[in-house]
Amino acid sequence: MTAALALSRQLGDLLEFSRIGFVNILAFRLRYYTGIVTYLINVTVYYFIWKALYATDPDFAAGFTFAEMVTYVSVGWVIRSVYFNNIDQNISYEVMEGKIALSLLKPVSVQSMQMGRALGESAFRLVMLTIPAGIVISLVFPVQGPASAPHFGFFLISLAASILLTGALNFIVGTFAIRMKSILGLLRAKYFVFELLSGLLVPMTMFPDTLQKIVAYLPFQHIAYTPLRLYLGKLNESEIYEALALQYLWIIALAVFGAWFWNLMVRKVTIHGG
Amino acid sequence: MLGQVEAVDLVKEFRTFKRKEGLWGAVQDLFSREYTTLRAVNDVSFQITPGEMVGYIGPNGAGKSTTVKMLTGILVPTSGEVRANGYVPYRERTAYTRTIGAVFGQRTQLWWDIAVVESFRLLKRIYDVSDADYEARMARFDDILAINRYLHQPVRKLSLGERMRCDMVAALLHNPPLLFLDEPTIGLDLLAKENIRQFLKEVNREYGTTILLTTHDLSDIEELCSRLMIIDHGHILFDGPLDELKRMLWRQTQIKFELKDVAQGVAIETFELPGVGKERLDELTYRFSFDREDFTSGDVIRRVVSTAEIRDIFIEEESIEEIVKRIYTGSTLPAMQQR
Repeated sequence: MTAALALSRQLGDLLEFSRIGFVNILAFRLRYYTGIVTYLINVTVYYFIWKALYATDPDFAAGFTFAEMVTYVSVGWVIRSVYFNNIDQNISYEVMEGKIALSLLKPVSVQSMQMGRALGESAFRLVMLTIPAGIVISLVFPVQGPASAPHFGFFLISLAASILLTGALNFIVGTFAIRMKSILGLLRAKYFVFELLSGLLVPMTMFPDTLQKIVAYLPFQHIAYTPLRLYLGKLNESEIYEALALQYLWIIALAVFGAWFWNLMVRKVTIHGG
Repeated sequence: MLGQVEAVDLVKEFRTFKRKEGLWGAVQDLFSREYTTLRAVNDVSFQITPGEMVGYIGPNGAGKSTTVKMLTGILVPTSGEVRANGYVPYRERTAYTRTIGAVFGQRTQLWWDIAVVESFRLLKRIYDVSDADYEARMARFDDILAINRYLHQPVRKLSLGERMRCDMVAALLHNPPLLFLDEPTIGLDLLAKENIRQFLKEVNREYGTTILLTTHDLSDIEELCSRLMIIDHGHILFDGPLDELKRMLWRQTQIKFELKDVAQGVAIETFELPGVGKERLDELTYRFSFDREDFTSGDVIRRVVSTAEIRDIFIEEESIEEIVKRIYTGSTLPAMQQR
């Protein structure tokens, strides 16, 4: 009973921070009109690269036809606009500006605060960026529809997981800022690791076998590769459930680890000074 | 529990590493670092009872903020004990933070780009403030601070004074029994300062809020605080009422004499008393200053009055700023240790 009450309170707090995130980003809505163009340019670049590659070898990417690859890249970039967030940067700024002390004075965990804010921003971008960019890109490029209605449903469930997964991972990255003060280098490294290992740039099937095996044990490919395979209908029924279960298990594991890691880092700073 | 806040032998040490100079030094630092330990707070003990307003002062780097951070649970003490509102702050931080409010003059806890009222709504939610309480408090706070006018503006558009008023409200929306203020009047104009002080007085009176504030503006203390704590180099140098500090350390007395007429000036010019300084302010007024240890005011007045005809006498006590400046420079330490 008390556990349920505590949970509902936590969710309430989370929603409140989401609202703030949504309202906050509203102040910068102009930025998103240019965002649509940026995403369109990205997709255009990849479209021509893949076109050139497929022209030399139609079986270039194992298991993906050219039409599928165009869809993969287009949908990949469109969903990136909703699942990405700046939790790591936000924490880093708070640490550098010393505002983290104020966050510690709130009766809410910093993880929920940051996660809530990120969810609000994602909701905002879904409306202002993801959907318009999706419409524009699908008009310009030959993007296939989802494999089937159920596949689209699973894709959406998986996309929700991508948002949470990115949040959990970015929180862990941001937590390093407590000790390192500036994590700009780390943020840059993370950016490339995420783009590559999430499957945004190329599908996992194009990786060398050994790398594929290693990456299968990492959380990153569940950010983009998993929802994209669901969209394209590349998974059979049992594989679908397995992929979704894995996604959500990773979220739980990383969120729990993040909370533990955060407490550890905060304790170190509060004991030894910064 | 008698003390709402209790600190016993509080110590906080920071370990910092010395950076070596130059490029070669930077390379060396990568492999071995020399650490130095700094004692920011050294054996600090005090108690604050409910409803008290305590001023906590000291020069920059004296240990004020470190103490406040330990009291708010942001820092873990190296040794010693701290309890506030029945909690050990750093150990039960989430529960404890529900029972305190805090304002840091240099930083705002409001969201920069959104309307002030949105921040308030968020705080209302995370502190579980009921609608009725929220409305009542907002109305009461608006009476004094008049914040309703700019409630719908983003914080970045507010002046410092307006922002500080909003930060005060943000810290008190959940009506905490204990409030920490770190330099709440820094950078404010006279009217804003006056307004904030009046607000704090009202809050203290109406809700019985216990307040600990650090400041560099001693008039904050004179107007608000019944009690003063002075810290320097991590030690508490003084803890008691402001009047007691004045009595104890008021060393230099100045008496201003206004002559009956210009003719009296001749007599006063020839007046000499070793150990008593004489200063001519204009042709009718002279100021005498002396150490309270050497002369009594009565003594000096009697001698002056018997020399020349005097219209008025003004005794000027040493300002609190002067006294505190002497404490900071360390020249009064022996006097305080006698206590």
